[in-house]
Amino acid sequence: MIEYFLCFILFIIGLYAVLRKRNIIKIIIGLGIMEYAVNLFFILIGYHQYGRAPILAKEQVISNTVDPLPQALVLTAIVIGLAVTALLVAIAIRLYEKYATFDITKIRELKG
Amino acid sequence: MANKLINFNHKGMTLIVKTITRLTVGLILLYGIYIVLHGHLSPGGGFAGGVIIALSFIHLMLAFGKEFALKKLDELKAGILESIGAIMFLGIALLGFLGGFFFFNFLNKGKAFEFFSAGIIPLCNIAICLKVGAGLFMIFLVLVTFNSLNQKK
Repeated sequence: MIEYFLCFILFIIGLYAVLRKRNIIKIIIGLGIMEYAVNLFFILIGYHQYGRAPILAKEQVISNTVDPLPQALVLTAIVIGLAVTALLVAIAIRLYEKYATFDITKIRELKG
Repeated sequence: MANKLINFNHKGMTLIVKTITRLTVGLILLYGIYIVLHGHLSPGGGFAGGVIIALSFIHLMLAFGKEFALKKLDELKAGILESIGAIMFLGIALLGFLGGFFFFNFLNKGKAFEFFSAGIIPLCNIAICLKVGAGLFMIFLVLVTFNSLNQKK
């Protein structure tokens, strides 16, 4: 039970960075932390005690593996997270080019 | 003496980093190819191997500077490789209509846990590897060279 609580604390740290920080780079890092907290939570849900990795190997009997479904889901989520991070960084670079700052309180002219 | 050993005018990082990079970058590329080719037998596959291959080119770029990496793999070549990956994946999927349906495994599947087995899955892994490797390298390239591209206009 304690590990789910620690995941939640990690998620709250990311949420704090997104809501409270002013630097765009720190906000992107906060989004990454939130994403990985959720991924870790999914992996922990699929865990059994003494379970081994769900990989088919030669001359090996399948017994007592962890749940492979959350792992496949998280693998896809990591790929999507990579693309989202690249998009966010590209937008941050464009904003820096236009306003010459990463501070979101100084980025005011959103139209045009 | 020190100025001769470390040439400050040269592009890229210091001599130590360049030497280590020259030793390791080939091994990183080979490891990525190994992961891709054994994707149907062991953990890994097209995406993981493609990321490792892209990282070997990014490693070159970080150590030797932009021009050196672009000589090995420029934007045009990377774009062509990425497109070849996408077309190859779609072509393999469409060839499945020979047997009946989309993504039909029409090749001989062979015995399990042998290198030449599993039908179209290794070919799909190679296509995904091309797409992911070239795509990730292009993302890094565009993010790094963004300013210089803009100043040319």
